[in-house]
Amino acid sequence: MRFSEILRIALLEIKGHKMRSFLSFFSISIGVISIMYTLTLIYSMNFRLKKAVEVAGPGRINVELKKRWEAQSDAEKKEAREALTYADSIAIKKAFPELYMVSPYKDKWVEFSDGYFTDYVSVRGITTQWKKRGWVYKLRGRFINEYDIENAQRVCVVIKEGGWMKKPKWMKFYSYSDPLQNYVKHSELLGKTIKLGNGLYKVIGVLEEPPAEKNPRSFVGVGMWEPKVLVPITTAQKFLSGWGDNAGDAIDGIHVDTGDPATIEKYKRQIEQALKSLHGKNLRFNIKDYREVMKDQMADKRRDMLTVMIIGIIAILSGGIGIMNVSLAAIYSRIKEIGIRRSIGAGRKDIMLQFMTEAMLLGFFGGVAGVIAGFAGIQYLAYKGDQNMAMLSWWMPLAAVAAAVFTGFAASIYPARTAAKLDPIEALRYE
Amino acid sequence: MIKCLNLKKIYPLKAGAGYAALQGVDISVEKGEFISICGPSGCGKSTLLNILGFLDTPSEGRYFFEGNDVSGFDDSKRAFLRRSKVGFVFQSFNLLPKLSVIENAMLPLLYLGKKRKEAMERTKAILDKVGLSAKAENDVMELSGGERQRVGLARALANEPQMLLADEPTGNLDSQNSAQVMDLLFDINRSSKMTIVMVTHDNKLAQMTERIIRIKDGKVEK
Repeated sequence: MRFSEILRIALLEIKGHKMRSFLSFFSISIGVISIMYTLTLIYSMNFRLKKAVEVAGPGRINVELKKRWEAQSDAEKKEAREALTYADSIAIKKAFPELYMVSPYKDKWVEFSDGYFTDYVSVRGITTQWKKRGWVYKLRGRFINEYDIENAQRVCVVIKEGGWMKKPKWMKFYSYSDPLQNYVKHSELLGKTIKLGNGLYKVIGVLEEPPAEKNPRSFVGVGMWEPKVLVPITTAQKFLSGWGDNAGDAIDGIHVDTGDPATIEKYKRQIEQALKSLHGKNLRFNIKDYREVMKDQMADKRRDMLTVMIIGIIAILSGGIGIMNVSLAAIYSRIKEIGIRRSIGAGRKDIMLQFMTEAMLLGFFGGVAGVIAGFAGIQYLAYKGDQNMAMLSWWMPLAAVAAAVFTGFAASIYPARTAAKLDPIEALRYE
Repeated sequence: MIKCLNLKKIYPLKAGAGYAALQGVDISVEKGEFISICGPSGCGKSTLLNILGFLDTPSEGRYFFEGNDVSGFDDSKRAFLRRSKVGFVFQSFNLLPKLSVIENAMLPLLYLGKKRKEAMERTKAILDKVGLSAKAENDVMELSGGERQRVGLARALANEPQMLLADEPTGNLDSQNSAQVMDLLFDINRSSKMTIVMVTHDNKLAQMTERIIRIKDGKVEK
């Protein structure tokens, strides 16, 4: 029998039992939805991890002062603590001159004002080392230099976001816009004097980001948010008035890039030793391989993903069991038909193919329904601003439907064999 | 065309030696013959017909069809013979209720791998022959018993078989419809020289055929 005929019979059979068919493909659909969700998530997380490491540097290590709330015990919470300082970063650089980057930073939450526009913004104190990683900018004016840092000059550099060349649909409604960025977009700050906290600062440079599509940073998202106003770190220590995690000379952390992922472990150990010898046990700090930081930050998503994937697998499995059950039941209601078909010349293969085609079609329809629902859901999440969901690829629906069809196939082997093995004479006699 | 030597069919039973439905049957049928197999119910005539129609295999003995020993054929070879060499007409019609008249009648052609369009055209001609072309698109459930049997006949003829096997083809019909179906069978036998083997327990019908093989207790009565 031609396959087109087998397909026709299968479609008729499915059409003839709409409710039964719907029930058996329903859970397949749910499975397919969660497969699509999981695939999108895995794909986008891997992509981000890769990009994040690319932007942050291959041998990136973060040294951060432990927050008070990270203390393990009450005693630890109350104990006197030493702070990480700018001097530490200089010491590290001196001890390991081969390090590609040793970039200390100190963030403060500060009032920004230029007479027209006033808002609270985050300001980061940096050194020239900041330039060494993820430099995607076009610089107008000049960047902070050694002189500014040594002399704690009151100068600042403002980062101007690149916007989108073509704003993606999901961004149109997800409309948090940074007021400072709005202001920077429409007014020229270069050369102006602005007020940060209580002091006056000269804007010596504007860093223009490329459009988001071309900016590797824009898809990194996780953990990559950074202040958009930069000042020399010494200025931030001495003059900048505002709120920060660490008062006085203390800095928030040091970003280190060894330049090579292979040396991360080595330098992690050595920097830790160096800092301990400089401060003793009173310095509570974390030193982390950046890839681990990224992984930590993605751990939540990963757990979600695992849950969804398990639900998906269970749903697909139960869909398969459903199809198997329906196929088996269908055989008993169609014994006579099988007998008739066999008597007029259908071979075992024809009967087997018939039942398998039906089950695979059920899987296929369930898969397609799931893909449509899943696609709609993912679009909705993306539209709600979940950037992970913006990375749905063309092959994911195909993979999901293939999984559904395969489920139908696997679930139908046993019933189809049972049907094909029926004795034609007994099947004919069956009433 | 057909030659059976010492055909035996023994159905295994849970206890004991098994039930012997056929206990050594020798028959032969020539091409173009219209014969009837007669006998009381339970005598083994349906079993014989099933073996002749490749639905069943003999436990012992040999069955030659067109000179080939087919008694040892496996399932797929027998399925091939069923769809290419024989047509079956059943007492209870055995039509598929979900399909229309023409779809039922053309099924054997589809199993032969014919295209739907071609199968349709060939089947239309056959439906015309059995007088059902007006009802080709009807559901089989809408037909009378006589009409259903004629659909069954059309289906049996669709693959242009060498041999037609009819198992009590008029058993479920009234006398008028019986006569009509019998007329059709005779007509087919005469016009296309088709071999017909009909099982019946109706002596009157059997008398009308060229030869009667009487079976009793699994053996041919001499």
